[in-house]
Amino acid sequence: MRNKFDRQLDTLNSELIKMGAMCEEAIATSVSAALDGVQKPKGASEEELIERTQAIENEIDRLERSIEGLCMRLLLQQQPVATDLRTISSAPKMISDMERIGDQASDIALLSKYVSDSNIQQKIHIKEMAKAVINMVTESVDSFVKKDLELAQKVMADDDIVDSLFDKVKNELIGLIGENTDCGEVCMDLLMVAKYFERIGDHAVNIAEWVEYSITGRRHGSGGNIL
Amino acid sequence: MTVRIFKTSFCVGIAVMIVTIAMFMSVLYSYYSEQTAASLRREADYAARGIELSGEEYFNDVSFENRVTWVSADGEVLYDNEVNAEEMENHSDRQEIIDALNTGYGTSVRYSSSLSQKTVYYAERLGDGTVVRLSAEQFTVGALLISMQQPLIVVIVLSLLLSFALSARLAKSIVKPINEIDLDNPVDSKAYDELAPLLSRIARQNRDISAQIEEMSRKQREFTTLTENMSEGFILIDSKARVISNNSAAANILCTKKDMCGEKIIEIDRSREFRTAADEVLEGKHCERQLDLRGRTYQLIANPIMQETALSGAVLLILDVTEREQMESMRREFTANVSHELKTPLTSIIGFAELMKDGIAPYDDVPELAGDIYSEGKRLITLVEDIMHLSQLDEGYGGSERENVNISELARDVIHRLAPAAQAMKVTAVCEGENVFIRGSHQILEELIYNLCDNGIKYNKKGGSITVKTDDKGDRAVLTVSDTGIGIPAEDMDRVFERFYRVDKSHSKSIGGTGLGLSIVKHAAAYHNAEIRLDSRVEKGTTVTVIFPLTEETASV
Repeated sequence: MRNKFDRQLDTLNSELIKMGAMCEEAIATSVSAALDGVQKPKGASEEELIERTQAIENEIDRLERSIEGLCMRLLLQQQPVATDLRTISSAPKMISDMERIGDQASDIALLSKYVSDSNIQQKIHIKEMAKAVINMVTESVDSFVKKDLELAQKVMADDDIVDSLFDKVKNELIGLIGENTDCGEVCMDLLMVAKYFERIGDHAVNIAEWVEYSITGRRHGSGGNIL
Repeated sequence: MTVRIFKTSFCVGIAVMIVTIAMFMSVLYSYYSEQTAASLRREADYAARGIELSGEEYFNDVSFENRVTWVSADGEVLYDNEVNAEEMENHSDRQEIIDALNTGYGTSVRYSSSLSQKTVYYAERLGDGTVVRLSAEQFTVGALLISMQQPLIVVIVLSLLLSFALSARLAKSIVKPINEIDLDNPVDSKAYDELAPLLSRIARQNRDISAQIEEMSRKQREFTTLTENMSEGFILIDSKARVISNNSAAANILCTKKDMCGEKIIEIDRSREFRTAADEVLEGKHCERQLDLRGRTYQLIANPIMQETALSGAVLLILDVTEREQMESMRREFTANVSHELKTPLTSIIGFAELMKDGIAPYDDVPELAGDIYSEGKRLITLVEDIMHLSQLDEGYGGSERENVNISELARDVIHRLAPAAQAMKVTAVCEGENVFIRGSHQILEELIYNLCDNGIKYNKKGGSITVKTDDKGDRAVLTVSDTGIGIPAEDMDRVFERFYRVDKSHSKSIGGTGLGLSIVKHAAAYHNAEIRLDSRVEKGTTVTVIFPLTEETASV
C-alpha cells in the first residue's frame, strides 16, 4: 500500500517538474516568436513558433487535468499526512499557476504578429523584462525540483525587479506614443506583452510560495501555519 | 550458555546426591537392620537360657535393652517388661510366635500405622514350649530421610549456589577463548583444537571474500577510471529513470552536483530533448538528440539496456559536438561559397561568349571580349588551383616530403616573381634578413610566402612598400611580411583567415584574388606548427608574423 503511495508521489513529483519544464518552454518559445533579437530555434518561422506555443499550452492543460486527478486520488485513497499532505495539497495550487503561465505565454505568442516592430522594441526594455521573467520561472521550477528554500525566496524577491521593469517599459512606451502617435497601436500591444510578463512573474512568485509552504508548512505572508 | 551449563551441572549435582544418598542409605540400613536382628537374637538367646534356668525370677534380676515378652505356648502373655502382661491380648496369631512354635524361632517386621517406624521381632521357643520374644523399634528409611531434611536442604541450596557460580565461571572460561578469536586471522587464534576445522574454514572464506571484494573494487576502479577519463558525459539509469551511476563529465556538462546517484532524470535536466529522450529510451528505443546547453552543442545518445526481454535501464552518453557542428556549418558555407565563386566568372565567360556567338558584339570589340574571357578563365583557374591547394592542405599533404628549406631564399624568389605585379602597383618590394633554414615542405612554404606577399602588394597603396624579413631567434624562425597598405579593420581581423572572406567585397573584382589566400597561409602555417600573428591598422598597413618553431634537426643544419 505504502509502496504504491510512494510510487504515486514520485509520479506526482515528475509530472509537476514536467509541467514546470513546459511552462519554461512555452515562454521561451513565445518570447522568441514575439521579440526580435532573441535567438530563434533553428529554422523555425514565426508562425511555427506561435503554433508550437499553442501546442505546448494544450499539453500543459492536459497535464493540469491529469495532475489534478492524481492529487485527488492520492488524497482520497491514501490519506496522506505531514509533508506528504503539504506536497499533495500545494500541487493543485501550483499547477493552476503553471497553467496560467502557459496561457499568458500563448497570449504573448498571439500578439507577436502585432509587436514585430524591431525599432520600437530596441527602444524599450522589453527584452530585459523577458529575460528576467524567464529566469524567474526557471528558478521557481528549480526551487521545486531541488526543494530549495533559498532559491524560492530569491524568486519572490526578484518579482520587484520585474515590477520596476514593467513601470520602466510603461513609461518608455508613453514617451514613444508622445513622440509619434502613429506607433500607438504597436505600443499598446507591447504594453500588453509587458503586462503578461509581469503576470507571469507573479505566477512564478506564487509557485515559489507554494514551494516554500511545502517545505516549511508556512504560507508566505500569512504568518501562521495553515495545517 | 551459562544457563545451560548451570542446568546441567545442577542436575548432575542433584542426581549424584540422590544416588549417593540412596546407596548409602540402603547399605547402612541393611547393615543396621542386621545388627539389630543379631542383637535381638543374642539377647533372645540369653533370655531363653535365663528363663530356662530361673523361670520368671529371671526377669526380676536382669534389665533388658529391648522389649521382652514371654508368651506361653497357647499365646498368652506371661511377662512383658514394658507393658502389664495381664492387659495384653493373646499373641498366638502373631507371625513370629507361630514361626517360633513351629520351627523353634521366628522373625517378623511390622510397620507402625504412620509407616515412620517399624518394629522388628525375634521369637525363640524355649524347652518348655513357651516363647520368648524380643522386639526393637527401628526408624524406616522414609522417616530417616524426613529427619535428614534440614541438612539435605542445606546441601541442595549449597549445590545450587555452587553449581551456579561454577557454571557461570565455566561458561565464561569456555566462551572467552571463542570470543577472543580474531576473526580476521582465525588460524592464529589459540582457541580450542575442536574449533580448528571451523576456524580454517572461516579463514578460507575470509580469503575468498577479500579476494572477491578486491576483484569487485578493482572492477569498480577500472569502471570509474574509464568513465572518469571520458570527456563524454556518461549516465546510467534504471528502468524508473533514476540515475545509478554517472561520471563527473556528465555532471559538468549538465551543471549538477557531482554524484547524481538516485536522482530522477527529470530532476537533473527537464528540457524537452532530454526528457523525451529518457522517455523514449525507457520504451526500449535507441535515440539520439541534440542538446544546446550554455552555448555549446551536445549530442545525446541513449541506448536501452535489455536483460533477456525485459528492459533494465539505459545508458546515456553526452558528446560535445560543438566543434563538429561548427566544422559542418563551415563546410556547408564553403560549398555554397565555392559554387558561388566558381559561377561568377563562368557567368561572365558565358555572357561574353554569347555576345560573340550571336554576333551582337561589334567585330571590333571581339578582341576585348576575348581578353575578358581570357582573364575570367584565368581567374577561374587560379580559383580552382587555390581550392586544390586548400583541399591538399586539408588532407594534411600526405605526399609532401619535409626537407630543409631556406625561407629567406624562398622569400627572395617570391619577391622576384612578384616584381612585375609590384611594379604595376608601384610598390617597392624589399627582402631582408639572413638565411634561415626550417624543416618543412618547400612547396607549401612557397605558397605561404607567395600569398602573404601577393596580398601585401595587392592591398597596397600606390607608392607603398612591402618588406619581407626573416630572422633566426635560436629556437624559432620568424618571417615577417609588413606592408604599408590599406590595412584590415579590427572587426574583420578574426575572420580574414576564413575561406572566401573578403574585407571589402565591392572591390574584390578589380583587385582580383580568390579570397582563399590567407586561408591557405593559415593551413600552411598549421602544417608547420607555426603561429601566425596579425597586426594591422586601417590605412597604415598590415604586418603578418609567422613564427616557426625550430626543431633540433633543423637547427643543426
